[in-house]
Amino acid sequence: MTAPRSGSGLGAPPGSGTAPDAEEPAAPAGPVGTAVSRPARRPRRGLRGLGDLHAYLFIAPSLFGVLAFLLLPVLIVLVLSFFDWELLSDPTFVGLDNYRRMAGDGGVWRSMLVTVGYVLLCIPLQTVLAMVLALLLNRRLAGVRFYRALYVVPWMATPIVLGLTWKWIFDPRDGVVNNILDLFGVTGPAWLSDPTWALPAIALVNIWQYAGYNMLFFLAGLQGIPRELYDAAAVDGAAPVQRFFRVTLPLLNPTMFFVLVTNLIGAFQIFDTVFVMTDGGPSHRTEVINFKIYGTAFREFDFGYASALSMLLFVVILTVTLVQVRFFAKRTTYDLS
Amino acid sequence: MHTPRIRWAAALAGAALLTAVSACGSSDSSDSSSGGSGEKVTLTYRLWDEQQKVGYEKVMAAFEKANPNIDVTVEMLPWDQYWTKITADAVAGTAPDVFWMQTSYFPEFVTKGVLADLSPLKLDTGKYHKTVVDAYTYQGKLYGVPKDWGIVGLLYNKDAFKKAGVEMPEKLTWAPDGSGTLLETARKLTVDEAGKHPDEPGFDAGKVKQYGFGSWNHYQTQWMNWVESNGGKLVDKNFGRYTFNDDASVQALQFGVDLVNKYHVAPPASQTNLPTGKMTEMFERGEVAMFPANNALLPFIAPEINFEIGIAMMPEGPKGRSVNLNGLSEAVYAKTKHPAEANKLAAFLGSPEAQKIMADGGYVFPALVEFGQNYVDYWKNSKKLDVSPFLEESKGTTYGMPVVTGFPGYEPKLVQIFNEMYLGRITPKQAADQAVQEGNASIG
Repeated sequence: MTAPRSGSGLGAPPGSGTAPDAEEPAAPAGPVGTAVSRPARRPRRGLRGLGDLHAYLFIAPSLFGVLAFLLLPVLIVLVLSFFDWELLSDPTFVGLDNYRRMAGDGGVWRSMLVTVGYVLLCIPLQTVLAMVLALLLNRRLAGVRFYRALYVVPWMATPIVLGLTWKWIFDPRDGVVNNILDLFGVTGPAWLSDPTWALPAIALVNIWQYAGYNMLFFLAGLQGIPRELYDAAAVDGAAPVQRFFRVTLPLLNPTMFFVLVTNLIGAFQIFDTVFVMTDGGPSHRTEVINFKIYGTAFREFDFGYASALSMLLFVVILTVTLVQVRFFAKRTTYDLS
Repeated sequence: MHTPRIRWAAALAGAALLTAVSACGSSDSSDSSSGGSGEKVTLTYRLWDEQQKVGYEKVMAAFEKANPNIDVTVEMLPWDQYWTKITADAVAGTAPDVFWMQTSYFPEFVTKGVLADLSPLKLDTGKYHKTVVDAYTYQGKLYGVPKDWGIVGLLYNKDAFKKAGVEMPEKLTWAPDGSGTLLETARKLTVDEAGKHPDEPGFDAGKVKQYGFGSWNHYQTQWMNWVESNGGKLVDKNFGRYTFNDDASVQALQFGVDLVNKYHVAPPASQTNLPTGKMTEMFERGEVAMFPANNALLPFIAPEINFEIGIAMMPEGPKGRSVNLNGLSEAVYAKTKHPAEANKLAAFLGSPEAQKIMADGGYVFPALVEFGQNYVDYWKNSKKLDVSPFLEESKGTTYGMPVVTGFPGYEPKLVQIFNEMYLGRITPKQAADQAVQEGNASIG
């Protein structure tokens, strides 16, 4: 909500940058007891308080939301991770036991591996596909708006509905995929119950769902690149491929940063498609960490351990994000002027 | 957390008081919780079945008529949400006064003190189906009023039998060595696209048009029945340990898998494994001729099919017939604010009046055995379907679902392990050992 106020952030004095206020901040800050300075400072102080109050009032609804539904639950999960709590009985404090148990729990590390595998299957393909779509649709061509909208449609659908639909598409006997393969004399695998294909199948669904949505960001990024830069590159004799790698890609870094960070976080948290399509099977091959957390909490009623696993996921995501921040910090220019 | 215990004690005291009052026949209503002094009490009753809700609204009308000072609100939550919500409610101390309980969640709820001891109701347990009573008995006390039961029977496609010129044998039998009338009949009903049967040369197991039997990884209607009718035991006792990796059980599991991978009379597991379970659909479409199912599935299957459906008793194994019978019960919340009224409602739900309404409407086989025939009559008169084999089975040997803590968490693991077994990736012995080990580790 504060972003549109260009120039000054929330912390800056209200109205800074406008002419009448410009003189005021020069007033001495020390407690000078003169009759002259006091009346001059009082209204300023009051105004500043009022300005802050307004600002806080404006952000109050979302601040409340963030505190009550995000920060508080996170803190509760952190606290719970030090307890043994089977939901229906009273929690007992166990210190670091849950974390010790985690270290020796092969199932957890298997789930982490599955999750990383999923991320590696999903993110590169999804990002490249989104970029390619954006490049294709970033040109004058008939019906371009229609295509742009079309590619975003999967993102608007409910993951559960998509999962159910794709489950049918992948059905070994009646599914579209295997029936098409049949026409070419190929017997398709039982996608979702095949240890090799189950995870890629789920990754495919998510790539398909989010590629169009990510395309939007790349499209916006592409349109923010000044035309002159391409002209200059062309004058210098840069071929299209060189123009892409030397001009487009570096200037898309802010977009790339945003897309990668949000998508990686999303991919590490994948749950709904797994829940609907494979229930973690076959043989735990699609049991991603978030699904494991869900099972531990809501099927095994082991809330303390599930909370500790959530903290593990939190730390992993935080680490991956920080690495990305550092990586992009050196390579990103936001200012094109 | 002392308050809950006090409330729990109050619930017990209230219940005890109720029986004391009714036993003495005295109408001393100084106890406010009995609500006898005209003060209206509202109870919440929660269930998960939309169709049965209609029946229970009739039941509640009868109850409210007999108890003008008690109002009952019937709440329906779909199965998936039911358990999440009721668990959360139990944690928050706001669970409904009376609610449906099922065997896989019962151990968790009863051992954590969520359910009220119903022995003060002094039900005549001999009148209810024994398997149901046993399922809800914990440390010698009854914690649920037996509500109903569902039993596994063999549904079959009469048209497919007619077309193949096969008669349903008087009695289906199976044995681990592949002898018996079940496999014989299933072979006759399995045909590939060239019209060949599995025991004929040139039969193509990859191109089967119709399967004779539906064998798949579904514990309640499938392998548990093979295990029990071969003399294996799922658990040593309720609240005990899993034991289905002994020789008799493993032999039985092997038979279930052989039907698929060796005899080819059932569709491959890659098509039927959970969560891609397709067997019901394949039966409905006429691609599978015989299909073991719980009678509770009938209202859902009957409208989907366009062939004549037949019902037979499950096959007899080497140790006779032993069929899964799974019952529900009416639980009273241990911390209900109105223990006396809640107990009154629970007792009414177990009464002949209430159970007859549910049986006459064809909703369920009531737990009171005397009204089993009423359910059969409904299906005969209204749906032209002879469901008497289900009732017949219930009078023979039946077994309940394992009543062991941790089952809801264990179930998905069990399903995954046995999926591998039905696919032939691990042997029944390996699967059973692994499953029993996981199961016993999950007992809380």
